[in-house]
Amino acid sequence: MIVAHVRGHHTRPEELDEHARASWLGALDARAKIVGVVVFVVATALLTSTGLVIASLLISVCFAAMSQVPYRHLARMYLGALPFILIASFSVFLFSGAERGLDMWARTSSCVVALLVLASGTETFELFHGLRRLRVPRLVSTLLMLTYRYILLLGDELERMRTARRARGFRGGRGLLDSRGLRVISYTAGMVFVRAVARAEDGYEALRARGFRSDMRLMRAPPLRAADLAFMAWFACISTVLVGLQLGAVV
Amino acid sequence: MHIPDGLMDPLVAGLGWAEFAVVAALAIYLSGRRVRDKDLPRIAVLCAGVFVAQMLNFPVGGGTTGHLIGGALLAIMVGPVVAIVGMTVVLLVQALMFGDGGLTAFGLNAVNMAVIAPLIGWGVYSLLKPLLSRGSAPAGKAFTAGEAIAIGAGAWASVFVAAAACAAELAVSYAVSGGAYGIAATVSVPAMLAYHAVIGVGEAIITVGIAAYVLMVSPEMFKARDAEVATPPSIRGAFSSRVAQATAAIIVAFALALPLYFVYSSEGADGLEKTMDDAAVPEGEPLLASPFSYGETYFAALFAGILGFVAVALAGLGLMKVLGAREKAG
Repeated sequence: MIVAHVRGHHTRPEELDEHARASWLGALDARAKIVGVVVFVVATALLTSTGLVIASLLISVCFAAMSQVPYRHLARMYLGALPFILIASFSVFLFSGAERGLDMWARTSSCVVALLVLASGTETFELFHGLRRLRVPRLVSTLLMLTYRYILLLGDELERMRTARRARGFRGGRGLLDSRGLRVISYTAGMVFVRAVARAEDGYEALRARGFRSDMRLMRAPPLRAADLAFMAWFACISTVLVGLQLGAVV
Repeated sequence: MHIPDGLMDPLVAGLGWAEFAVVAALAIYLSGRRVRDKDLPRIAVLCAGVFVAQMLNFPVGGGTTGHLIGGALLAIMVGPVVAIVGMTVVLLVQALMFGDGGLTAFGLNAVNMAVIAPLIGWGVYSLLKPLLSRGSAPAGKAFTAGEAIAIGAGAWASVFVAAAACAAELAVSYAVSGGAYGIAATVSVPAMLAYHAVIGVGEAIITVGIAAYVLMVSPEMFKARDAEVATPPSIRGAFSSRVAQATAAIIVAFALALPLYFVYSSEGADGLEKTMDDAAVPEGEPLLASPFSYGETYFAALFAGILGFVAVALAGLGLMKVLGAREKAG
């Protein structure tokens, strides 16, 4: 089983889809979720009033709690983004005061939590189909789908190579002057690329055999339903109120 | 270097989105002309390779680690235009699937890591390779020492310039928002530049190592190493040479960073001028009046930057030629 490790994010990609299937969010149209969450994130990014930023964070946390995505999973993914959030908040705290530092932490956390719920509450390929139906160019959406597929394969490959390296006593090198350590890491990455390309041809033939013709086609492309529209309307209302109050506070 | 949502001033984030939209539209158009359906899995698999290679942390020393960005590596393997699309896809997967980098900040993240990093990496590599690498690789080696230096320099520059752009975006956000967004320049600039100057060394070593391994085992993967960017017939004449394209790549990266200067530029004196003012030392008449200035508008500053870049590049080229001639004579 693949264990993807992206700068501290410890996650199992197939678990993401498990959570999506378990959550009521998984039943919504991906387009509605993308548009709703993006509108909310953009509105939150515009907020500077402490009360409104805290309100936005509370809305994100409530959204996470209601989503039925396990909180441990969300907390683990949030911890991956936390160092950069803390550096930024601490810097603002030092130069602009405690209130501004708190605003920065709450604002970035609110956006990150909302995005993590979107990612965890949507099946990966549904998300990509949603992007395609939102007119993301064919080249980008097809590459997204293929890249994600290959990431899962290559992640497994990398994990096996890590195990093999550890079995031979390699412990990650000592620093930039450790030429042997860096050579091992370079050759491991090089091997990932070589194996990747070796798989590309097979992957392409398999896709062709299943009817792939340079663009993703859906077996069914249902229109937006009332629940999807309600989801978007809910986020649009909240975002409008938050931005309206912010503008009122500024004026 | 992945900027989360809510960190950047909305004006700066919007500027990043606008720049990214223009460059991405152009890159997708040019890639669409060049990439055949048959190539899609190969490009996707290289993007996945970059994503997975980013998981490999390398030791920096003192218990800290860094990780590959891969922009220069991908650009050297598939060319800069396809690399822009490929790195955009990698960043999209990171943002959408792992919450790594925000949506409002995606434009800036993409400008830094999917546009500036590949363009600078490929540009520096393409300009240095003909100067440093002559003849064929020695037996048993993937490339000459000169080409290895060109690859390493491209990889280092890609990380350093992308980090500098990120630091500038953070600093400008802080300044224009009056401290509500971003990170103060006194923290962001030295921290980002110092850390990424070291990370860049790791990126350079690992990139050269990967290139050496891949070239020995599967040289066909470096199809774009000697290829030129596919250009539409209308601009083919002006940008047909590799050096012209590399120069254009570096100038595009500069043009993308320039708007930040106009969002926040100070009318105040620089360090020397301030010192002279404090000491009441008058500025004398110049012996030679330059016909050029740095410019008050975006296009004037862009023109001045291009002029300066070309002048420095020509001076460097001349110096290399002179040194080369002396070496041969010796």
